[in-house]
Amino acid sequence: MSEIYVSAVLGRPVIDPAGVELGRLEDLRLVPGELLPLVSGLFIRNRGKRHFLPWGAVTLFTPVVVSARADGLRVEDAADADTPDIRLRRDVLDRQIVDVDGAKVVRVNDLKLRTRGANLFVEAVDVGIRGMARRLGQLRFWNWLAGVFGAKLPFREINWRFVAPLDLNADRLTLTVARERLTDLHPADIAEILAQLPHKEVGTVLGSLDPETVSEAIGELDPELGGRVISQLDSEQASDILEEMEPHEAADLLGDLPEEKAKELLGLMDAEDAEMVQELLEHEEDTAGGLMNNLFAFVPPAMTAEEAINYIRLVGAEVDNIYYVYVIRADETPLGVVTLKRLLLSPPKTPVAEIMTVGLKAVAVDDGPETIMEILSKYNLLAVPVLDDGGRMVGTVPADDVLKMFLPESITRKRFAAH
Amino acid sequence: MTFSNLVAPFRKFSRRNILVFFAVLGPGIITANVDNDAGGITTYSLAGARYGYSLLWMLLPTTISLVVVQEMCARMGAVTGKGLSDLIRESFGLRITFYIMVALFLTNLGNTISEFAGIAAGMEIFGVSKLVSVPLAALLVWLLIVKGSYRIVERVFLFACVIYLAYPLAALSADVHWGEVALASVTPSFPADGGYVAMMIGLVGTTIAPWMQFYQQASVVEKGITVEKYGYTRLDVIIGCVFAVVVALFIVVACAATIYRQGLPIETAADAALALKPLVGEYASWLFGVGLINASLFAAGVLPLSTAYYICEAMGWELGIDKNFRNAPEFFWLFTISIVVGALTILVPGMPLLAVMYVSQVVNGVVLPFVLILMLLLINNKRLMGAYVNGPIFNAVAWVTVFALIVLTALMTLDTVWPGMISTMVSWIAR
Repeated sequence: MSEIYVSAVLGRPVIDPAGVELGRLEDLRLVPGELLPLVSGLFIRNRGKRHFLPWGAVTLFTPVVVSARADGLRVEDAADADTPDIRLRRDVLDRQIVDVDGAKVVRVNDLKLRTRGANLFVEAVDVGIRGMARRLGQLRFWNWLAGVFGAKLPFREINWRFVAPLDLNADRLTLTVARERLTDLHPADIAEILAQLPHKEVGTVLGSLDPETVSEAIGELDPELGGRVISQLDSEQASDILEEMEPHEAADLLGDLPEEKAKELLGLMDAEDAEMVQELLEHEEDTAGGLMNNLFAFVPPAMTAEEAINYIRLVGAEVDNIYYVYVIRADETPLGVVTLKRLLLSPPKTPVAEIMTVGLKAVAVDDGPETIMEILSKYNLLAVPVLDDGGRMVGTVPADDVLKMFLPESITRKRFAAH
Repeated sequence: MTFSNLVAPFRKFSRRNILVFFAVLGPGIITANVDNDAGGITTYSLAGARYGYSLLWMLLPTTISLVVVQEMCARMGAVTGKGLSDLIRESFGLRITFYIMVALFLTNLGNTISEFAGIAAGMEIFGVSKLVSVPLAALLVWLLIVKGSYRIVERVFLFACVIYLAYPLAALSADVHWGEVALASVTPSFPADGGYVAMMIGLVGTTIAPWMQFYQQASVVEKGITVEKYGYTRLDVIIGCVFAVVVALFIVVACAATIYRQGLPIETAADAALALKPLVGEYASWLFGVGLINASLFAAGVLPLSTAYYICEAMGWELGIDKNFRNAPEFFWLFTISIVVGALTILVPGMPLLAVMYVSQVVNGVVLPFVLILMLLLINNKRLMGAYVNGPIFNAVAWVTVFALIVLTALMTLDTVWPGMISTMVSWIAR
C-alpha cells in the first residue's frame, strides 16, 4: 500500500521491462470501483500519437518509474475517442467539484492515488496550496518559505467519497455517499453551493437531488438567481419543483421570469397549485399582496378547541405558520385570531369564538412594506393578515419576509452573490 | 456578425425589450471605457498634439479589433458561465495558468501605479497636492469595493462613464474644422517617420490590454447573463467599444485643433490640460483635468478588482465583491495590496516609477499574445462552446486581428526595450 500524487507521475516516461521508453504518461482512464474510482488504463503519448495501455499490462507504478509490458499497447483509435470515458487529467484535474463536507465549491489541484493489491485507486483530492505547489514542482520552495515565517503549509485533502464532481460523466465515479450527504445539507447550504456554480452545472447538481430538497434550496436563493436556475432546467422538471415550493416563493420566482416562460410553467403545474401562485402573481411585488402567503390556518367560529387542533394536524403540513389560527366567517371576513398555545391550553370543548383575540390587526392588499413593518413591530406579531377590498382575508405576510426588506443590502446580498 | 444579427434583439421593439437591454447593459460599456485610462488619455493627447488629425484613421481599425476581441469574451462568458481564467485553467492546466496570472498581476500593478500617477497629475491642475489626493483616492476606491455590492459598484462605474463626456465638451469648445476631421478619419497615411509609427502602434496597444478580456468575461458571468440574453450583451459590447473610441477621437481632435496648431511640445495628459488654458480657455483646461481624474480613478478601481477576480478564479479561491475578508481572504487581500502598492509608489519619493512602468509594459507585451491565442483556441472548442464557436468568416477575421495585434504589441515592446528601434526600422524600410 503506497500513495502517489498524480502530479508526480504525469509526464513521466513509461518504459518497458527492457528499459526502452514507450512514451510519456499523459492521462489515466478511470472506471467506477467498489468504493473509490479505479484506474483502468494509461494514456501514453509517443511521437505525437496517443496510445492506450490497459492497467493489467503495468508492472511498476511509482513516482520514480512507470514500467509496463508493451504487448498491451495500442494506438488510440476513433472508438476510444468517442467512448464517453472519464479521464483523470481531462475531466477531473483542475475542475471544480463540490466539497460536500465543507458545503462549498473548490478546485482540484492534485489527486492522491493509492495502490491496494494489484489495483490503483483515486483516494483523495487535494484542493489546497500544497497541491498547487506540488503541481508547479515548487513544493520544497513553498515549504521553505512557510518555514521562514514559522508556519507549515496546510494539508487540504478531501476524501473522494465526500466530493461530488460537476461533470456529468465523472459523476458516475461517485457512490451514493456524496449524493446522500448533499441531500442532507441544509437548504441554505445547497443554495450557497448553487450560487457558486456556473449556470451550466447547476442542472447536474439539482438533477441528483429530490424535488423537495431542490424546492427548499431554490426558495433560499435570491429570486433573481432562483429564476435563472429554474429557467435553465427543462420545463417539466421546473414545474415539478415549483409545485413543491411554497406558493409565495414560487410566485416571486415566476415574477422574475419572462412572461411567456412563466405562463408555460404555470400551465404545466398541477391546476390547484397553479391557481394559488396565479393569485399571488396578480399583486405588485412590493405590496402586502405580493409579499403574502395565501396558505394560512383558519377555522369557523363554531369549532371547538379540540376540533381546531385536529384540523390543524390534518392541514398543517401545507401551511407555513400554524401558530396563528384565524377565525373566519362564512363570507371569508375574519373575526379574530387564536394562538396554538391558547388552543392547547384551553378546555377541549370550548368554542374558538370564546377564546379568540378580537380586534384583529390587518393590512390591505396594496399596503407597502413600511405599513406592514409598523404593524408587525407595534403589536409584536409573527405574521399579519391581509384583507382585500371586500374585507375578506386573502393571506398573511410573515414577519421574516418583511424583515428581509429592511436589512441593509450588504447582509442580504452577501450570502448569494452570483459569480 | 451581420446587421440583422445585431438588431435581432430589437426586432420586437417593445418596452420590455428596452428594459431587458438596460438590465443587461454594463459589462461591455464599463470594460471599454476603463480602457481610456490615464495611459490611454496620455497616448491620445500626445497623438493629437504631435501629429494633428493625421492619426485619426487608426481609430476605425482599432474599434473593429476591440469589438472582435471583446465580443468573443462576452460570448464565452454567456455560453459557459465561466470566466476566462477558469476556462484557461480547466483546458490548459495549472502551470500555464499560474505563470499567466503572475504576469498579469505584474502588468496590472504597473497600470494601477500609472492610474494613481494620473490622479496625482490631474488633481495638481486644481492645486491639490498629491499627498492629499492619492491617499484619498485609494481609500475611496477601496471602500467602494469592500463596502459595496456588485450592483452598487456597477452603478457607480456606469455613472463614471458619463463623465467621459467632458472630452467631447472640451473639443467642441475649441475651434475645430470638422470637415478636416471627417476626411482624416478615413484617409490612411504612412509617413516614413519613426515617431509616427511608434505612436500608431501605441494607439492600438493602449486600446487592447490583456486584463480587459478577463474583466469583460468575468463581469458577464457575475451579472448572470445567459445565452438567451446574449444578443443584448453583444450590443452592450459594441456600444461600449464605439463610445470609448469616440471619446478617444474627441481627445485627439481637441489636442490637434489647439496644441498641434500652435506647435507646443507636451509630454503628458496633464501638460495637455494646462496647454489648453491659454488656447481655449480655463474651463477647457478644467474639463480635461476632470476627464483625466475620472478616468484614472475609474481604472484604479477596476484594475485591482479585475486582478483579484481572475487570480482567485484560476486558483479556485473564493471570490466576489459581495463576500468579505473572512470568507474570501485572498480576493480581498489581492486588490488591497494592488491599491496600497499603487498609491505608495506615487507617494514615496525616489520610487523608480519609470522602471516599474517599463517592466509592466514589457510583461504586458509578452503576455497578450498568450492570452489572445488561448482565447481563440477556447472559443473554437466545440466541447465548450457547442453551436456558439466562431463561424468561418468571423474566425478568419479574429485570427487576422489577433495576429496583427501580436505583431504590433511585439514591436511596441521591442521599442520599449531598445528605444528608437521602430525609428531605425522605418528609416531602414524607407531607404
